[in-house]
Amino acid sequence: MSNITFRLAWRNLWRRKRRTWLTVGAMVFSNIILVFLISMQLGMYAMMIENTLRAQTGHLQVQAPGYKDDLKMRQVVPDVIDLAAKLRSEIGSDEIAARASAFALVSSEERSYGLQISGVEPEFETRVSSLPGLVTEGRFLEDAMAEEIVIGSVLARNLRTGLGDELTIIGSGRDGSFAAAVVTVVGVFESGMPDMDRGFAEVPLGFFQDTFYMEGAGHSVVVMAPTLIQVGALGGRVESLLPAGEGLVVHNWDVLLPGLKQAIQADFVSAWFMYGILIILVAFSVLNTQLMSVLERTKEFGITMSLGVTPGRLGRLVLLESGLMGSLGLLLGIVFGGALVAWLGHTGFTYPGLEEMAGQFNLPGRIYPQFSAIGLLMGPMIVLLASVTASIYPAVRLHWLEPVAAMRAAE
Amino acid sequence: MNQFKMILRLAWRNLWRNHRRTLIMIAAIVIGAWSMIFMTALMRGMVDDMVADGISVLPGHVQIHHPDYRDDPTIANVIAPPSGELLEALGGAEVVAWATRVRVPAVISSERDTRGVTLVGIEPLRERDISFVAGDVVEGEFLTSPDDRGLVIGRKLVEKLETGLGKRVVVMSQDQENEIADRGFRIVGIFESKLAQYEEGFVFAGETVVQKLLGVGDQISEVAILGSDYRNVETLFRSIEAAAGDGVETLPWNEIDSYLGSMLAVMDGFVIVFIVVVFLALSFGLVNTLVMAVFERVREIGLMLALGMTPRSILGQIVTESVLLLIIGLVIGNVAAIATIEPLKDGIDVSIVGEGMEMMGASSVLYPALYLKDIVMANLIVIILGFFASLSPAWRASKYDPIRAITKV
Amino acid sequence: MKSVTCKQLCKTYHQGEVEVIGLDHVDLEINEGGFVCLSAPSGGGKTTLLNAIGGLDTPDSGKIWLAGERIDTLGKGELANMRLHRIGFVFQAYNLIPVLTARENIEFVMEVQGVPADEREKRSTAILREVGLEGLGDRRPAQMSGGQQQRVAVARAIVSKPALVLADEPTANLDSHTAEQLMELFVELNEHHGTTFVIATHDQRVMRYAKRVIHMLDGKVVDDERRDVA
Ligand SMILES: Nc1ncnc2c1ncn2[C@@H]1O[C@H](COP(=O)(O)OP(=O)(O)O)[C@@H](O)[C@H]1O
Ligand SMILES: [Mg+2]
Repeated sequence: MSNITFRLAWRNLWRRKRRTWLTVGAMVFSNIILVFLISMQLGMYAMMIENTLRAQTGHLQVQAPGYKDDLKMRQVVPDVIDLAAKLRSEIGSDEIAARASAFALVSSEERSYGLQISGVEPEFETRVSSLPGLVTEGRFLEDAMAEEIVIGSVLARNLRTGLGDELTIIGSGRDGSFAAAVVTVVGVFESGMPDMDRGFAEVPLGFFQDTFYMEGAGHSVVVMAPTLIQVGALGGRVESLLPAGEGLVVHNWDVLLPGLKQAIQADFVSAWFMYGILIILVAFSVLNTQLMSVLERTKEFGITMSLGVTPGRLGRLVLLESGLMGSLGLLLGIVFGGALVAWLGHTGFTYPGLEEMAGQFNLPGRIYPQFSAIGLLMGPMIVLLASVTASIYPAVRLHWLEPVAAMRAAE
Repeated sequence: MNQFKMILRLAWRNLWRNHRRTLIMIAAIVIGAWSMIFMTALMRGMVDDMVADGISVLPGHVQIHHPDYRDDPTIANVIAPPSGELLEALGGAEVVAWATRVRVPAVISSERDTRGVTLVGIEPLRERDISFVAGDVVEGEFLTSPDDRGLVIGRKLVEKLETGLGKRVVVMSQDQENEIADRGFRIVGIFESKLAQYEEGFVFAGETVVQKLLGVGDQISEVAILGSDYRNVETLFRSIEAAAGDGVETLPWNEIDSYLGSMLAVMDGFVIVFIVVVFLALSFGLVNTLVMAVFERVREIGLMLALGMTPRSILGQIVTESVLLLIIGLVIGNVAAIATIEPLKDGIDVSIVGEGMEMMGASSVLYPALYLKDIVMANLIVIILGFFASLSPAWRASKYDPIRAITKV
Repeated sequence: MKSVTCKQLCKTYHQGEVEVIGLDHVDLEINEGGFVCLSAPSGGGKTTLLNAIGGLDTPDSGKIWLAGERIDTLGKGELANMRLHRIGFVFQAYNLIPVLTARENIEFVMEVQGVPADEREKRSTAILREVGLEGLGDRRPAQMSGGQQQRVAVARAIVSKPALVLADEPTANLDSHTAEQLMELFVELNEHHGTTFVIATHDQRVMRYAKRVIHMLDGKVVDDERRDVA
């Protein structure tokens, strides 16, 4: 667009200052809300995913087919420790660890609870899971063969047990036979996730294999990717390294925890319903403003057309005006919305009741919005686009404008 | 009165002078009003469903426990069954149904597999009126009495354990002497639940059978009491709490399940925030329309003032115009919202994200819930805030200097 | 060559039930370099005729040639292009774009024509001088007198050196002195550049300058008067 057309469009906007500001105001208002909510969502999702994956499944798992649905003792990954070691060396990453898992009845002197026990490689579990870092009392597991256990804080309280106490584990082994062992509590973790703290315990993998007659097998190899985006590629690489003929499969986190991804999707869709309404309302505001502005300039447009300017060119002028308004709204929306996000990114955001709800999704009671280009730009860009789209009708109307009639129109 | 009629007539005619602008504005109000009511009904429906499910799954509206039970839900923390004053209170008009339960963590084993579960000993006849299990038994029979030796378990758990109706399973828990107590049960009923975690996590047996297994005599873990309305449990809670006395802990459901409780509370706030935000997005356009309408009419407003119309009538005229606009938009918006919600009454299938909904505690079918209270609130908020938003342009119009207004070119 | 040729132009307006005659079988020829006045009382059909010649409005019947080319058969886009390059318009009310300065109003047409910026600048400076508005280029219409605004409109009309300028009652809102100055500017441009002028008016002050006066009444040409300029 040429210089004068641009200036013309810009100055046209300020012929009706109040009207333009009100229209821009609608955009800025919606943009701030969009920037705030989208940044918030992104921050929340990232946290939900990271917290949950770090604490539970990891990014990828190698499993026997069917294990993720049935969790049967006999659906095993054979020679799981060797496989994990092989993957570590081939991929060149330490963030890979073998695990096994069983339900068992865990008893202290006073209490018994049925819960899930994981056998982990102490050395590598620290690299793939947040749990070892959450041990608040005692220490995490160290020796792969030691008869030791780390349990959740609520479980410790419920079992009336503490560091140095012995617990009895009773369950069934891989072949269905009776399995039992006695272990010493060496650590207590506090994850803040009620399910984990109440019903989860970890023992060394070697010890687990002996106790549950695993014959060297385990149930999964957990793999962490450097970032969430690299998960897909890494999955392919892991798959190519699996031993042939054993029918092992690689699952991504979204397959292991479909609920997480779908909760995000459900939240995303319902949020966009609200965003959509805001954006449509802004578009109507722009439509009204631009239609009025075109109607009141009928005479002026008639003259301009008598000079030989085509309706198409005038239409582009109208679109340009909307574009300028939208850009102004975008700019101010990003500045104010960004400032809000930056500030809340610092102090965190909360409201009464959030903490109780957030716990359900492994979130803390304070949410820190994510300061990102996507969060800042996505909403305002769509508003800009919607604004320009909304003025297509007023712009196209110009094609029906007859210069002679237009010039006769009252100003 | 005449004055008012005239103002109304002027406002109405002025509204249609620029019918394009008016129609666009009405369309915006319609979309705003529709979204307010539609969205509110969806959210309400979801939360209602979650709470109703949550309550039917176990808590009831009010529960009585041993003070330590919630922290340590084992057989060590049991209470005596209701008697005396409490039993009298349970017979009161406020109480729709009540039942006692023995509820402890346990391990269940089939020939093929072992799982951790919660074992619930129930009074089948009383339990029928409170929780979901009885109605959701899809195969076999529900328990018939506290002495029933059968076990009712969820469909998912049956699959995991690779067992079936009529087969035997072993349930292991801990008795009051901290000894492992186990007992074989025959599966007599299989239930299905909207929430998979309940299908996998709970098994039901006769209360007396469980009491005998665990050696607790006639003691129980909890009394669950159902009132008539979960939104209004305060009076029920107070009377039960008073009757139950100090030795036990009496709690309303929203404190027992703080996730659901806070969800319900937050939702009330969120509905208002949503309505106000949509209104604000709308208000810019509304004020803009009025500003334009006033600006176009500088001359005639001046003329009316010159002819002796009071500034107040001018103000009234503009505000009336705005309120008329809002009313038209709201009426159509309300009708549209009801018309879209009505055919969805049978539920909206969101099973694509079913497991995600479950994570939130909701089921994969959404039932929109239209409350008169919400409709009234949305409409009132829009009319009242709309009234205030239109005061500024109206006030400006009433302040015109008639001579300057007329001579303005 | 003829600058303008009209044959049997007819135009009827329908105002509700009523039919109003705009043009009634008008025949007309105007030579290149002509300086012609269309004289008629109000409602006589002057504007209708100018609009038809300028391709703003299409007649119901009849034919129009500009510089030998039929224009009544052209499409809208071609007409717009023709106006842009070959015709300049001056209207009664000054009809400037209120948010642009005098210079920008003049440059606007050139910009649409695609004239490069430096060339625009040169030509607008020259034309501002020619119409006697040197130094006023940065004023907006609201900051100028009626006469000054009309000069800007003239400058805008002639800046792309059109062969034909159509002016519709250009002096109607001007005082006598200013009106005479404007007419002298027209005459000068007519003599200097050979631009053809067709000026609709019922203003005697204007007709004094005309080489030829065509009298109209109720859409008909009633008299064609050639005179020596006073
Ligand atoms: N768009 C129109 N609609 C209806 N009548 C018109 C229109 N344009 C011109 N007229 C009528 O046509 C006749 C000629 O008008 P016009 O050419 O404007 O005359 P002049 O310019 O000489 O005053 C007048 O009676 C006028 O009212
Ligand atoms: Mg005329």
